[in-house]
Amino acid sequence: VAAASARARLSPVAWAAVIIGAAIMAAPLVWTLLLSLKSNAELVQDSGRAFSAPYTLENYAAILRGSLTFRWLLNSLLVSLGTTFGVLALCSLAGYGFARLDFPFRRTLFVLVLLGLAIPEQAVILPQHQLFAELGLHNSYPGLILPGLVGSFGVFFMTQYFKAIPKDLDEAAILDGASRFTVFWKVLLPLTAPAQATLGVFTFLGSWNSYWWPLISATRGEMFTLTIGLASAQMNYAQTSGLGFLMAQAVFASIPIFVVYILFQKQIVRAMAGTAVR
Amino acid sequence: MRRVWLAALAALVLAGCGARDDRVEIDVQRFFGECGAVYGNLTDPAKAEGECGIVTTLINKFNAENPDVRVDVNVVAWPGYPQLSAQMAAKDPPDLVTMHQGVIADYQARGLLEPMDAILAQAGLGPADFTDAARRGVTKDGRTYGLPWDTVGGLFHVNTRLFEQAGLMRRGRPVLPQSAGELLAHARRFRERTGKPYLIQSQVNDPATHVRNLYTYLLAQDAVFFPEPKRIRLRTPEARRIIELFRTLNAERLSTTDQDNPAAIAAFIKGEGGIFPTGTWMIGAFDQEARTPGRPLYRSYAVYPYPRLWGRPAAFVDGHAWVMPTRERTPEQRRAIARLLRFMAEHNFDWSRTGHLPAVRAVVDSAAFRALPHRTEIAPLAVFGAPLPDYVQRQAPIEGTIGEELAAAVAGLKPVDRALADAERRVNELLDQTG
Repeated sequence: VAAASARARLSPVAWAAVIIGAAIMAAPLVWTLLLSLKSNAELVQDSGRAFSAPYTLENYAAILRGSLTFRWLLNSLLVSLGTTFGVLALCSLAGYGFARLDFPFRRTLFVLVLLGLAIPEQAVILPQHQLFAELGLHNSYPGLILPGLVGSFGVFFMTQYFKAIPKDLDEAAILDGASRFTVFWKVLLPLTAPAQATLGVFTFLGSWNSYWWPLISATRGEMFTLTIGLASAQMNYAQTSGLGFLMAQAVFASIPIFVVYILFQKQIVRAMAGTAVR
Repeated sequence: MRRVWLAALAALVLAGCGARDDRVEIDVQRFFGECGAVYGNLTDPAKAEGECGIVTTLINKFNAENPDVRVDVNVVAWPGYPQLSAQMAAKDPPDLVTMHQGVIADYQARGLLEPMDAILAQAGLGPADFTDAARRGVTKDGRTYGLPWDTVGGLFHVNTRLFEQAGLMRRGRPVLPQSAGELLAHARRFRERTGKPYLIQSQVNDPATHVRNLYTYLLAQDAVFFPEPKRIRLRTPEARRIIELFRTLNAERLSTTDQDNPAAIAAFIKGEGGIFPTGTWMIGAFDQEARTPGRPLYRSYAVYPYPRLWGRPAAFVDGHAWVMPTRERTPEQRRAIARLLRFMAEHNFDWSRTGHLPAVRAVVDSAAFRALPHRTEIAPLAVFGAPLPDYVQRQAPIEGTIGEELAAAVAGLKPVDRALADAERRVNELLDQTG
């Protein structure tokens, strides 16, 4: 109701600004989609032909004909889902621990976790690669999933969410004879569903789009994720003689993300607005 | 039910026994894209088109003709060096890898590549089998670090219809300038008579364009611009006069100025300018346009090496090579690799259909190669084409740095002297950091 009344209050100028803004945001996506529906030969001559028929699905057919495309799709799904469930499990446990349990050096440990937010992936990529090489984990699912499980942001996010839940609930459950784990599992965890959904969606999106680590860890074709596989399928002059195919790859790789966005739209918007923690 | 399970288990065990593979396996890693869906079963390279199609078909053919060897191909995202470096760090590099000749020094200097003189000899190949340009590209410290597969360089792609209109054709051939002054005179005349720019240049986000121009004409003037492995010298009269020429072309609007590579290609195909200086790899696409009735380039396309504007004929070239990362291999694997190298060299003609110049001297001299469109005109590149000195590392980032500074200079955004000084300083800082 509030949103509807807010929409009704928008002035014509504001409406115009919103529409222009939306058009600017949508233009690159529409451009990508149109290019993906044109033959490469036509686009070499003039990319402006994207605005006129004939359109074709030949670029999508070429992707689907690729011998390993569905393997890459499966790899991406397994890695993204594995990472997402792993992050949710670990961050929920860690968040509960930091929010509810009293143990030595809790604050210090929490600060250390927060410091992790300031360390970029690039800074640790070399030792991380060496470590995984020593463990023989490159070109494997654990090799692709494990680094993604280390999530300072997730721990911080879940800690804040658990802290926001009144402690009275724990105490009431304990009085009723519940164990610590029962309190966590049956009382508090169900209440964190909105935060779980938000963290899950962001983790899934991040993992799906991940490029750098899979690029150097998965060096065998059968272990490529979709992003790496599609990049490997490109010819050297993709942006000139294979523009349609290149754009079709971009659209194809984003379809699962698009589906996730449609399914979890509310959680994503809430997370963006910073309301999921409240 | 129990019998069914036992029978299934026995079948699985038998299947496992039957799957034993005694073939010698070699891991080949390459770029050029993945096209198994189209060429996965083709073994006749004459029926394949493009880099990906031809290399895929060649490996299929090798596998078919060598049943005791299994070439396991890993296709990596272009250019594949982050992956290769990671594999080397993990001590698990492939047996044979495609590498740009300009990148070889980066790996060779760190002992990450095997010298290949012995294995090439085992394959019946020696330095004399390769063109001068190709041999220079893979020779480091007097040793051969790769099987050269082609030579890639800049060419002047010409729209002969517009040249005719500008009165710049003699006996059916375009008249290319023989000096910087003549180039400017031709360009002005071309603009005046056709209303179009003489040059179509990819000047946006394309450092290679400027660097190709600079290196080519520095080589033509015999300028020593890498006097030492970690020192570049660009504040020279030779470099200055090259950049001044291209700056003048831009200032007088005798060249396109605001196009990236795809836009420049489209402009040339649409007949919007006289000359498009770009690489050997575009010959096939432009020739196809020239054979298609109704297209602006129909029967209006010719291609030549960069003209001699100063000094002697010269061209800065690079190329692709097959290199062997340092690792342990069995004698059987080495023999299999030698056979594959021999096979690749024997099929260098097939590869030359991509537009790249062959690296094998006999192929360049062959009637079959000369019969391919425009190859006679561009063949001299295999003789006078030259890479940077074999000791120069970090050629890719150097190209990016110099290209950035030169783009600013030719666009008139930075004085030429300052751009050259900045390029020199930045490259030297980069080289100082190189181990």
